[in-house]
Amino acid sequence: MKWIILAALFIACVTVGYVFSIKYKRRVQFYSALILFAQKLDVEINFSRERLKKLIEGMDEKTKKSLFGLDKNFLSYLEGTEELSEEKLFKNCPLLKSEEKEMVFLFFKSLGRSDVLGQTKEIQNFLKRFDDSLSKCAAENKKYGSLCFKLGIIAGLFAIVILI
Amino acid sequence: MLEGILPDKIFLPIKNRVGFGALNEIRLRADKPVLLSCMGQKFFLNDEGKSRNLSGAIYATASMIEEIIFRASECSIYSVNEQIKKGYIATPNGIRIGIGGNMIEEAGQVKTMTGFSSVNIRIPHEVKNCSLKAYSSIVKEDGVYSTLIISPPGAGKTTFLRDFVCQLSERNLAFNVLVLDERGELNIGKGLGNFSDIISFASKKIGFENGIRSLAPNIIVTDELSEWEDVEAVKFACNSGVRIIASTHSDSIESFLKKAAFRELIDEKVFSRYVVLSMREGPGTLEGIYDENFSRLMRW
Repeated sequence: MKWIILAALFIACVTVGYVFSIKYKRRVQFYSALILFAQKLDVEINFSRERLKKLIEGMDEKTKKSLFGLDKNFLSYLEGTEELSEEKLFKNCPLLKSEEKEMVFLFFKSLGRSDVLGQTKEIQNFLKRFDDSLSKCAAENKKYGSLCFKLGIIAGLFAIVILI
Repeated sequence: MLEGILPDKIFLPIKNRVGFGALNEIRLRADKPVLLSCMGQKFFLNDEGKSRNLSGAIYATASMIEEIIFRASECSIYSVNEQIKKGYIATPNGIRIGIGGNMIEEAGQVKTMTGFSSVNIRIPHEVKNCSLKAYSSIVKEDGVYSTLIISPPGAGKTTFLRDFVCQLSERNLAFNVLVLDERGELNIGKGLGNFSDIISFASKKIGFENGIRSLAPNIIVTDELSEWEDVEAVKFACNSGVRIIASTHSDSIESFLKKAAFRELIDEKVFSRYVVLSMREGPGTLEGIYDENFSRLMRW
């Protein structure tokens, strides 16, 4: 019985460590997908001038998955008549800090609101900011991502040693 | 009809209390009351419907107007910038939204429009058989007379043209009709008969040239001739042996004759028939049909 409890305790510590570490990885994935998304919009708006709804629906599944529901939330705003709010846009997306949410919200809010030249310039400006955020997230992931996982394992082992 | 474009505050009283049947126009100006035009009469919009009384009127705001334009462009203003540059947006169901705001010009060319301050939403109506009174004066055994429909704005030119194209089809006159729908108003999503091809959102010059080359029409139907360029396009079509059914803005035949841009077309007798419409007894009142010498053929 004692060994079962110790094993459960170890698994719990490792899981907590993993949960913390995966958050950093997901932030990297999110910004990578957001950059791809913005780049596609930039090209398509310039080239085909296709409507936003079609462009978003036509995104590949992998990118959509890494946007953690932002595409769906934005689509439902486009289809409805209510105003876009941070709360609605980031429903099911708890990854971002408040200042990051503000930046991403402004990006989505600017979509479809100006002519081709204005729209593509705006997207390019946001792309630079997203690139900076991606670099920060990648550094954080490198620094803290694996650290959290390792700390989880160490904490689990430490708990076992103490309890033994 | 305008669901998803108008804010609920405006859409619901119109839908529930006014109805779209008799509604011709909705005008929104920033910080001014919403105006409705029903059969040539003006009303304020309030929660109870339409009224001539200003108290209780619903006021439009600049953000409301911006949102209407955003929604009318299917949330993609960049995709309709060419239309915005000309001062309007056409929705897929033929509603034309005229826009007021700041034009941005560069080197004499309009680049775009910003600071939207007003919209004029024109509701298209299908008035079946409205062109029948004039039909026999325009159509002859082996084709049609080139005809110009003359009327002030909102008097039913577009509705007349739309019905005329449908009448041509229904009467099995198998002419190849090319409808050049520059502003997306003629084709309101219900089709335009069995013998019509449609080119939408092209200028008269490009539409006429490309249409004649590629679709070999017998008749070209188009809305709102206004500029010298339009007149040149008409001349090009006539020289190619194509008949033209078109429309233009003018209060009466007298004021039309003063339009310098049309002088050459009048002198060369490019149009053989002139149909004059007015608002006298509501939109679409037929005032008269004239021949190429401006002799009245019919009077009502």
